[in-house]
Amino acid sequence: MITLQYRKISQYLAILLLQFFYPTAIAHHSGNMFDREQIVELVGIVREFQWTSPHIWIQVLVISETGITEEWSIEGGVPNRLFRSGWRPNTFKPGHQVILQAYPMRDGARAGLFIGAKLNDGSILGEFN
Amino acid sequence: MLFFNYKLCLHIVHLSVIRSIIYKCKQGLFLWFFSKLCMAQSLVSYEQLPDWSGVWQMNGSTVFDASSVQPEGGRAGSAGVREFPPYNEEWEAIYEDNMEQVSLGRFPDPLSICGTPAGYPRMLNVPGAIEFVVRPEQVWILTEDGPSIARIYTDGRSHPPEDEIWPTYSGESVGYWEGDTLVFETIGIKGKGDAIIDRTGLVLSVDARIKTEIRRVDISTMEAQIEITDSTAMTESWVVTKRYGKLEDGARMFDVACVENNRNPIDETGRTLTLDSQGNILDSGVN
Repeated sequence: MITLQYRKISQYLAILLLQFFYPTAIAHHSGNMFDREQIVELVGIVREFQWTSPHIWIQVLVISETGITEEWSIEGGVPNRLFRSGWRPNTFKPGHQVILQAYPMRDGARAGLFIGAKLNDGSILGEFN
Repeated sequence: MLFFNYKLCLHIVHLSVIRSIIYKCKQGLFLWFFSKLCMAQSLVSYEQLPDWSGVWQMNGSTVFDASSVQPEGGRAGSAGVREFPPYNEEWEAIYEDNMEQVSLGRFPDPLSICGTPAGYPRMLNVPGAIEFVVRPEQVWILTEDGPSIARIYTDGRSHPPEDEIWPTYSGESVGYWEGDTLVFETIGIKGKGDAIIDRTGLVLSVDARIKTEIRRVDISTMEAQIEITDSTAMTESWVVTKRYGKLEDGARMFDVACVENNRNPIDETGRTLTLDSQGNILDSGVN
C-alpha cells in the first residue's frame, strides 16, 4: 500500500533549492501561493501527467495519515524547457509509483510546485533530496 | 556606407515622386525610376547577410537589466527586487506601486492571462527559446513565449506617418544593416496597462522609441543592445544589453499555447488561483 509522507525540510535547504530551480519552474504567473520555506514529500501513484502549456501538471494519488486516498496536483515548468532538460511527454506514467518533493500551497490545499522526483526505476528528476 | 546610399536614394525618391505628381514631367519620372533602382541596389544580398541560424536562449534570468538589479542576483517576480531605469518622478512612483503589487502577488502580467504576445522589447527578455530569421528585406524575431513575432523591415522604408501608427504589442520596426549588425528603431508599442518589460514591474509608455542593435558576438553568442528613449516616462535614455546562447545543433522551437491548460487563472482582484485537474478552484476561501 502506498502511503503519504509529509515532512518539512529545513527552510535553509528550501531557499537554496529555490535559487537554482524555481526561476525556471514558473514563468507565466505569480508563485505567491506556494510556500517556498516548506517542502512536502509525497509517495504515491501517478494518476495523470499533463504535458501541456503553459505548465505541466502531475496528478498523484496518495494515502493520507488518516487512510484516505487524496489527489494532489503538482505544477511544474514549461514543457519546452523541460524537454530540453531531458523530460518527455511520458516521463510520468499513469499507474507508476513516484516520490515527489514540492513547495506546498500556503493555504494547505492539495497542490504544490515541483522541486524534484524519484521514479520507480530509480531515476531522479529536478532537485530531489 | 550602405545606409548613406539608402538615405540618398530616399531623398531622391521623395523629390521625384513629388515632382512627378505635380509636374508630370519626364524628368520627374526619370528620377523616380532612377531612385527605385538605387533602392533595389541598397538591399543587402543573401550572401552578405550574417548567419544567425539556430535556436537561441537568453542568458540569465528575466530581470531586464541584470547589471543594476537590487538585491544583486534578485529575480523578477520576487518581492523587493528592482532595477533603476531613469524614470521621472511620476513613473518612478508607478514603478514603486507595481513593485508593491509584485510583493502581494497581484501585479498584472499580461502573459498570465494568456492570449497576448510578450511584445517589444519584452520579447528580448523571455526565458524560452528565440530565433532570428534573416532575409534581405526583413528580419523576423520569433519567441516561444507569448508567442511573439517582431518584423523588422530592412527594405529601405521609413516608419509610416504618425496617423498610420497605433500601439501594438510588437510595435513598428524599421532598420538597416551596419556590417553584420542589425540596427533598427521600434515605435508604436503598447505601454503601461497592456504590456510590461519584466515582472519586477517595469513598464514603458506608448511614446517609447527603442533603438536596438543586434549582432553575433561569437559562434555561440548573440547580443542585443537596447536603448530606450521614453520622453513621457524617463529623464534620459536607458541602455540595456542582453545576450543569448546558442542551443545544441538541431534544437527545435515549440508552441507555448497558454490557453491550452491554464490552471492558474487570475481572479478579479488580481489573485492567481490554482485549479485541480477538473477545473475546480483549490485555493481556500474561494468558491
